[in-house]
Amino acid sequence: MLMILTPTMMLLPMIWLSSSAHLWASVLAHSMTIALVSLSWLCLPMEAGWSSLNSFIATDPLSTPLLVLTCWLLPLMILASQNHMAKEPINRQRVYISLLTSLQIFLILAFGATEMIMFYVMFEATLIPTLIIITRWGNQTERLNAGIYFLFYTLAGSLPLLVALLVLQNSTGSLSFLTTQFSPPLQLHTEASKIWWAGCLLAFLVKMPLYGAHLWLPKAHVEAPIAGSMILAAVLLKLGGYGMMRIIIILDPLTKQLSYPFIILALWGVVMTGSICLRQTDLKSLIAYSSVSHMGLVAAGILIQTPWGFTGALILMIAHGLTSSALFCLANTNYERTHSRTMLLARGLQMVLPLLATWWFLFTLANLALPPLPNLMGELMIISSLFNWSNWTLLLTGAGTLITASYSLHMFLTTQRGPITSPVLAIEPTHTREHLLMILHLLPLLLLILKPALIWGWAL
Amino acid sequence: MNPYVLSILLMGLGLGTTVTFASSHWLLAWMGLEMNTLAILPLMAQHHHPRAVEAATKYFLIQSAAAATILFASSTNAWLSGQWDIQHITHPLPTVMITIALSLKLGLAPLHAWLPEVVQGLDLTTGLVLSTWQKLAPFALLLQISPEIPLLITSLGLISMLAGGWGGLNHTQLRKVLAYSSVAHLGWMMVVMQFSTSLTALALLMYVIMTTSAFLTFKLLKSTDMNSLAMSWAKTPSVTALAPMMLLSLGGLPPLSGFLPKWLIIQELTKQELGLVATVAALSALLSLFFYLRVCYCLTFTSSPNNLAGVAPWRLESKQISLPLATSTSLSILLLPISPAILSLTLPLF
Repeated sequence: MLMILTPTMMLLPMIWLSSSAHLWASVLAHSMTIALVSLSWLCLPMEAGWSSLNSFIATDPLSTPLLVLTCWLLPLMILASQNHMAKEPINRQRVYISLLTSLQIFLILAFGATEMIMFYVMFEATLIPTLIIITRWGNQTERLNAGIYFLFYTLAGSLPLLVALLVLQNSTGSLSFLTTQFSPPLQLHTEASKIWWAGCLLAFLVKMPLYGAHLWLPKAHVEAPIAGSMILAAVLLKLGGYGMMRIIIILDPLTKQLSYPFIILALWGVVMTGSICLRQTDLKSLIAYSSVSHMGLVAAGILIQTPWGFTGALILMIAHGLTSSALFCLANTNYERTHSRTMLLARGLQMVLPLLATWWFLFTLANLALPPLPNLMGELMIISSLFNWSNWTLLLTGAGTLITASYSLHMFLTTQRGPITSPVLAIEPTHTREHLLMILHLLPLLLLILKPALIWGWAL
Repeated sequence: MNPYVLSILLMGLGLGTTVTFASSHWLLAWMGLEMNTLAILPLMAQHHHPRAVEAATKYFLIQSAAAATILFASSTNAWLSGQWDIQHITHPLPTVMITIALSLKLGLAPLHAWLPEVVQGLDLTTGLVLSTWQKLAPFALLLQISPEIPLLITSLGLISMLAGGWGGLNHTQLRKVLAYSSVAHLGWMMVVMQFSTSLTALALLMYVIMTTSAFLTFKLLKSTDMNSLAMSWAKTPSVTALAPMMLLSLGGLPPLSGFLPKWLIIQELTKQELGLVATVAALSALLSLFFYLRVCYCLTFTSSPNNLAGVAPWRLESKQISLPLATSTSLSILLLPISPAILSLTLPLF
């Protein structure tokens, strides 16, 4: 673990001591090296045990895919931010990259934490760099409100989590993930236990987000600059899913009864946010709401606590992370050229930027869960296990799949096909950097078709 | 101010607190508190501005009323128990009176109404002394008597947290914001006092460090309201970059050091089966976080030409010594990873 963590921490001095000519190239090269080395975590022994173990940090088959996704995303964020940061003073560029790197450090520590309070502190620590990225480098005045919504929604959910974890520590004596799966079941018979159950899960449900508490997400995703949108969509939402999967082991047997309203909310959210996507005019907002929709499926998959549910949730988290981040990068290519997020302003792009249309096509297909991509594998496993849990969920999940296909296709056809609008005629051609960004998103997805066992987790 | 007069006043301040720390007799403790009050009054009124003189007058009246109540309560205790020892107050009547009198001295809600206007009338240095040094002596007395009246202590603490959070929400004057932040932090200190006096002392220590950093930052930026913070990025980019971290630390966000007292206090409260109090306390911290965040927005997260409400103050060269600011800001951001060391230093002492 230190093999990845120490180079990431040493990126910070490198950022501040590099010359301005070499800054972006050197940070990109080093973070790419760290990302490639982090792939070695995937081939550690995967038999439901912990690897790279010391008393504070460890990896196991659940956290490894998320760790690799996090490490993979840093060079991609740097590639994506290079253009719009080029006009800023050099020290502000250094601050921006330092924020991305410190976010990376906190995320590695969060996914690698073996003790729940450490996970909590790192979970909260990721809020500060994200807040600064959204409110300082966002582009519209709404970014201030977006930062407030983001910070306060997440904190209002996670402060009860702190109290709940400390209550758990009093009753069990230890909060280590290593021992929770072996500890005797808790005596959860009182009414206060139900409130404790809710306190444990609420933070992660707000972070995922669950449909009723999702209002921060469209604001934060839309107002953030491209690196902020990428890290939010790809990794920070998955912190909620990961936390839920870790803690739900202890929460039995209350979960069987108490999770009903949350499963219903999650599935209803899939349909509702999908329908909202069909009516969106703002491209980034559409992708943000589609994130809520996919995460609703993940939340439902985790809450039913079956092996296929957990596996499907983890696969969908990884696949959605890559897809959503790629879609935000594509939306950013539009934004950098037209400085507008309105879909209708930049239509018929296939005639103007044909190479980019390929990437739009492939990531739209990924978003609507086309086989044989891992997106389908995740969604199918969750939908099957939900059908097994209750046959009626098929109505909602089936409708959700249909609506997802509709809005993904709507997004593709509106931006790529059709008549060319006049603002589009004078935009600059695609950069090689943008193509590199897209292929770096797509390549992991395609390779995962060949060995999905890497991101299965320990349930199967 | 004449340096001889200033040195006498500062010595008086130091001596007053030291006398209160060292005393075991109530009359000597009262004398130390009165010396503190009298020594700071000329410091408050030194600029002869009407608001400063008004602040000094209000401060004098409040603190004298509190000191008189302490005198009365300790006399009552002497009558009831026959001795003047500070640690041997057993009868509930003098205990309650002394607790309320010390709350008035500190500015705990519901006895906090004087604090915002007094701090607003002072310049930033005297405000710093009022918010940090003047809190030490009453806390020394409170920690020694450790009143065991759960209803009084917990309600003083909770009401202070909520009053400090809600009260500070609509202000643009930075000194008033810091006064309400003081009320909220004092609430956190009170709520854990009956269970662990060392955690109260730790919370007080962290609060002093963070408030020192806040006041010194605003003094360096020569700004007393939020509009004049707007051009700080042009004057001192490094302070502008670090001050949001210090303000978010005041708000209690991990991984900054302000999280440490809140975490330990919530842990102690849950150990004592007070989970509901702990949750209300944690959520009330969100109220104060909102106005700290708003100061961060004005200071760093919006910058010209996007911030139309900001004014550009004169950019005069600042002759402030930067070591206290640098030390207190570093401590208020970076102490969380060494919390076991801090705990081992403070826990045995109190």
